[in-house]
Amino acid sequence: MTDPGIAAREGHLVLDGLVKTYPGRHGAAVRGVSLSVERGSMLAVLGPSGCGKSTTLRMVAGLVAPSAGRVLVDGRDVTDTPAHRRDMGVVFQSYALFPHLDVAGNVSFGLEMRKVPRAERARRVTQALELVRLDHLAGRRVARLSGGQQQRVALARALVVRPTVLLLDEPLSNLDAQLRTTMREEIRRIQRETGITTVFVTHDQHEALSMADSVAVMHEGRLEQLGSPQEVYERPAGHFVAEFVGRANLLPGTVARVAGNEAEVEVPGLGTVTATGHAPAPGDRGSVMVRPHRISLDAEAPAGSGAARGTVLSAGYTGETVAYRVRVGADGPELDAEHPSGAHRPHAPGTEVEISWDGAARLVPAPTPAPETAKPGDGAT
Amino acid sequence: MTAGGTGTGTGTGSDRAAPAAAPAVAPRSGPAAPGRWTPARTATALLLPGLVALLLTYAMPLVWVARMAFNEPLPGGAIRQTLTLGTFTDVLGDAHYWRVIWRTVELGTLVTVFTLLLSYPLALFLARTTSRWRGLLVALAVTPLLISSVARTFGWMAILGSQGVVNKTLMSVGLIDTPLQLANNMTGVVIASTEIYMPFAILVMISGFGRLDPELERAAASLGAGRLAVLRRVVLPLTLPGVLTAGLLVFVLSLSGYVTPRLIGGGRVFVLATEIYDEAITALNWPVAAVLSMLLLVLFGLVVVVYTRLQRLVERRVLGEGGTAS
Repeated sequence: MTDPGIAAREGHLVLDGLVKTYPGRHGAAVRGVSLSVERGSMLAVLGPSGCGKSTTLRMVAGLVAPSAGRVLVDGRDVTDTPAHRRDMGVVFQSYALFPHLDVAGNVSFGLEMRKVPRAERARRVTQALELVRLDHLAGRRVARLSGGQQQRVALARALVVRPTVLLLDEPLSNLDAQLRTTMREEIRRIQRETGITTVFVTHDQHEALSMADSVAVMHEGRLEQLGSPQEVYERPAGHFVAEFVGRANLLPGTVARVAGNEAEVEVPGLGTVTATGHAPAPGDRGSVMVRPHRISLDAEAPAGSGAARGTVLSAGYTGETVAYRVRVGADGPELDAEHPSGAHRPHAPGTEVEISWDGAARLVPAPTPAPETAKPGDGAT
Repeated sequence: MTAGGTGTGTGTGSDRAAPAAAPAVAPRSGPAAPGRWTPARTATALLLPGLVALLLTYAMPLVWVARMAFNEPLPGGAIRQTLTLGTFTDVLGDAHYWRVIWRTVELGTLVTVFTLLLSYPLALFLARTTSRWRGLLVALAVTPLLISSVARTFGWMAILGSQGVVNKTLMSVGLIDTPLQLANNMTGVVIASTEIYMPFAILVMISGFGRLDPELERAAASLGAGRLAVLRRVVLPLTLPGVLTAGLLVFVLSLSGYVTPRLIGGGRVFVLATEIYDEAITALNWPVAAVLSMLLLVLFGLVVVVYTRLQRLVERRVLGEGGTAS
């Protein structure tokens, strides 16, 4: 099942130019999303609410008809296949458990629809409930389950039919913080054990980065970037990805000199900064990105030893970290810095510090004006 | 609020008098002084007008009718004040009255079945639609209630009569030679009653379909359920309580219905309501009318018992309340 053959390279699940427009609404909800998910891998579709990620998932599931584009599974076009023949397991944000059935009844539903004989049905229901560690609650009414248990039932119900693809819509958003961490690992474990190709939608970057093999970042109906969690975080394709996936300092500048992937970028108020980018060319406009936790502030270091000299504007203690706001020079750009707390005494506002960062900064290309999106206010709603 | 205010006042007063003594709550926790206004008394006061109205307009007439059932009817409409079971035994020993009771139940059952069958799809549509005209559509479905059922019954007479719209149309296209007997019989009464009770059924069903969630239907579809399976396995079980309540309402309404059986029945459909009227007004036999009223009441009681049983069964089996969980 998880044999990495030719099919794996072509992508088990392929979205080809999916578009969804709603009548009477200006602009499309999904504006042409193409991506491919490898067999047995887990893809996170990450984006803010209203970016079209749930609509995309529903188009894959067959619950929303695309206005244009295709969905392919194993190279077969399923765009016109109705949801109930698509053989995809869906876990809904609200779980959508049948209130009139008990736990076993919910899990058994899909097997009954597939006319699985009674004895085998019972066996597989038990198996699925064991997988999600709920076998002791088979006879319980779903209304009497906790949020985490309902989540597991929804997962078991979707998995028991052995679907070709598992789709999860914001699976963890209704759980409290602690349970979310547990379920994050649980879902990942189950996905690895079953080896099922999985797509899940989330607005939480931690969820996406920690669970998925690859991350698709969506914004205003478009796919901004598709890559591994490291790629998306370390080498964002644009401003939106840089700021949505983690926090980022973005300093606009112009490329002055290039040596391979390394670029010398002129940043007003800061001087020349070395940054790596994707095929930079002299004269390119872009932003230098430095993640706040990479920036160190040193009050003792002599002036000129770091990248710049600056003044601490504010320091916010959050328990685990101290978040600083620093101004470069007298009227240079402001930067965010974040340090683990406890390492040393926090710098007080007004302190003069030497600013430096480890490793090279990243050059993020400037946003190219998109012809369709132009209108202000026509954003995510 | 008044009680709380007084209590606090007393409390702070005693605090000021002896700061180190009893805690501030002590005066409040004491037994309520006689004449003090409590929430329970407010509730009683609010209930009183309604209770008095019910007593005067419902309980007392009912007792009066019940008392009448034990009087002895004399020829010529006279009544002898007594306590006898004679009228009961007379009525229950008479095959004619049993036929009337049977007819009443038959009519109620037929009307309920047809009303539910015709109202269910409409109610389902109205409950599920996301159209912005939903409010208007619901209003349209219940507008017939704005017209008196007497007027609507006359309307049905014009439609169903031997010279009515239906027969004229069918005859003019040559489907039939002689008019169909659609009025002055049970068929006509069932047709007209069904239409008259549909708005009630639709209203009750819509409000009872709260558990219907389109996401559940999508979940069922994603698990391989086609449209029919979704309807049978998800929509129907979840809407059953609403259907049951609508059924109760329609059944009870049609058991006591008078206007439609009288007018469309054309004096040939005998049900309890028309029979009670005839006995009381035409035959001036008030004790028999009272006994029949009591029988109708017993019928209502039976219906409610059956409904409660069914509802409990549905709640437990279908809605997952109670259940096997500890």
